[in-house]
Amino acid sequence: MDKTIYIKAAALCSPEPGELQAFALEAMPVDKSLLPAALRRRTSLTTKMVVTAALHACDRAQCDAGQLPSVFASVGGEIQVTDALCRTLPDKDALLSPTQFHNSVHNTTAGYWSILNQCQAPATAIAAIDDTFVMGLLEAWAQLQQRPGDLLLVCYDEHWPQYLAPPMGQVALACALVLTSEGRRRLPAISRPEIEAEPEPMDKQLMHFIQRSPAAAAIPLLQALQIPDAAGRITLNISAPRWFTEIHRVAA
Amino acid sequence: MSALNPIQPVAITAYASLCACGMGNGALYRSLLENTSALGGLSLFDLPFSTPVGEISVPLPEIRPELEAYNSRNSRVALAALYYAEDGLRAALHRAKSTYGSGRIGVVIGTSTSGLYETETAYETLLKEQRMPDDFHFLTRHAYQATPRFLQLELGLNGPCYAISTACSSAAKAMAAGQRLIDSGVCDAVLVGGVDTLCRLTLRGFRSLDLISPQRCRPMDKNRRGINIGEAAGLLLLEKRSGSQAPPLAYLLAVGESSDAHHMSTPHPEGRGAALAMTSALQLAGIAAERIDYVNLHATATKINDRVEARAISEVFGDAVPCSGTKGITGHTLGAAGGVEAIVSLLAMRHGFIPGTCGLEEMDDCICQVIREPLPERSLQTVMSNSFGFGGNNASMIFSTKTDG
Repeated sequence: MDKTIYIKAAALCSPEPGELQAFALEAMPVDKSLLPAALRRRTSLTTKMVVTAALHACDRAQCDAGQLPSVFASVGGEIQVTDALCRTLPDKDALLSPTQFHNSVHNTTAGYWSILNQCQAPATAIAAIDDTFVMGLLEAWAQLQQRPGDLLLVCYDEHWPQYLAPPMGQVALACALVLTSEGRRRLPAISRPEIEAEPEPMDKQLMHFIQRSPAAAAIPLLQALQIPDAAGRITLNISAPRWFTEIHRVAA
Repeated sequence: MSALNPIQPVAITAYASLCACGMGNGALYRSLLENTSALGGLSLFDLPFSTPVGEISVPLPEIRPELEAYNSRNSRVALAALYYAEDGLRAALHRAKSTYGSGRIGVVIGTSTSGLYETETAYETLLKEQRMPDDFHFLTRHAYQATPRFLQLELGLNGPCYAISTACSSAAKAMAAGQRLIDSGVCDAVLVGGVDTLCRLTLRGFRSLDLISPQRCRPMDKNRRGINIGEAAGLLLLEKRSGSQAPPLAYLLAVGESSDAHHMSTPHPEGRGAALAMTSALQLAGIAAERIDYVNLHATATKINDRVEARAISEVFGDAVPCSGTKGITGHTLGAAGGVEAIVSLLAMRHGFIPGTCGLEEMDDCICQVIREPLPERSLQTVMSNSFGFGGNNASMIFSTKTDG
């Protein structure tokens, strides 16, 4: 199983941590103090939420955030910044804020993450609507096949204005995973994400929550991480075709 | 960071482009040979300032009714490139589909703003009526993944499908992702590249950063005043080397990626991220810098970007390698730039010439060898093309006529 990857650590962050209790998961609140003042002023809630989850995951994995390649997966990215700019544009003469403009790109969080950690490793930003988490995991998996070591994957979405794609974005959530190509004893191992031939219906409550918060597609995997010796197929998305990964623990 | 193991080259079996030069690779090739600018006036919308743009003026095809929800200018530009018979991309995809099966073909497309243009128009209604217009479809028109998803549905493919959006390095990063999906056995073929279309936000946003040139841009010129923005689709079909029934047009050897870790909109002054992307590409390709016959520069025509790139080039190559930038012809096509400039590099290799740097009149005190007018009859075996974006996000692609560079 040389193509297996391993999960070193996970962390969740949400401004509404209570929403995760229904799934027996703990999310930490956004911790703005993790950013130095200059970056705190410039960054959105999105970036602060991602940084909170990612730094905690790196801390739990005991790895150096300054060395990690990273994959940032999000449907809307800096959707609040984009919304504010789009509201300005109908005024034909209005001047846009240069900071808001460069903060509207999809890789804004990736950029600030690299600056915060002085990390020159590759950082990418992807999007795939309902498949955003699984495509992020697949991209991470493929990167680890090519470049062995550790890698950071963060799946996240902010609160969305509800006139864009309701109910998407009703709950803001960031899920960070530190993945590695190097198996160690007792680390949860996952296989390459693949398409499920005969998908089973997903729990309705979970399905509804993922529709409101696309990063919640990581919940089944996060729940499995909490079960010692969890083994079996984990669903990774809600739309067709359904994708899964197989989880197991490396034997002692 | 861990050491980079060389990656296996992948075949490029078809490519297609649409930009301000006109329809297809042929139009782009003619503009490159003549070294003439396709930049002109903007007709799509009004701006509170004046700047030349690289607007696509050829008629765009209609989206078929079943996929009307995906109808954006971005998707129509992609469709036009896909369907232009002379470039043969659609035929190549149909052949790949019957060879490998639809589930073995991925779609990874770079974009910076996708269908934002349609959303900007919808916000005019939102502000007036406090509701979006009835034909507003955010996820299928504006969302980053709208165009790759449209292409997947249009072509009837079932493999992995996602957008990469890392500003101006998006399309080059999509090429990297496509190569990895093939190298790791997830896919046998991947449609990669970039599509980006003109919108108010990028033009007025770059203007707010004081980076827009009021005249035609002049990459690497002493008197450069900034960028011109263009729109384009640059799409390529990558395939695994064994099993491909079509003779490869060239190979993608590797894409080196890095982060500046410096600033959101300004490159590191010493070009450390740019140099790292280029050296990583060489390491991944398993070749020495001397093997690169030509570098297609990112060369946006802002003073700092150009100077930093020249410095990084000189660090990696000395002054030995001929370089040029082609954004004076097409404009800066942002998230599509890596796709269009990959095709510029492939056309240069196929036709044996070094493109010029349109707009360059008086050379800046530049430490790299910038080619002003096209040089005909140059045999190019291995070529590098750079893409550097906001957030300090860098990618350098290496193409070759041979698998070992």
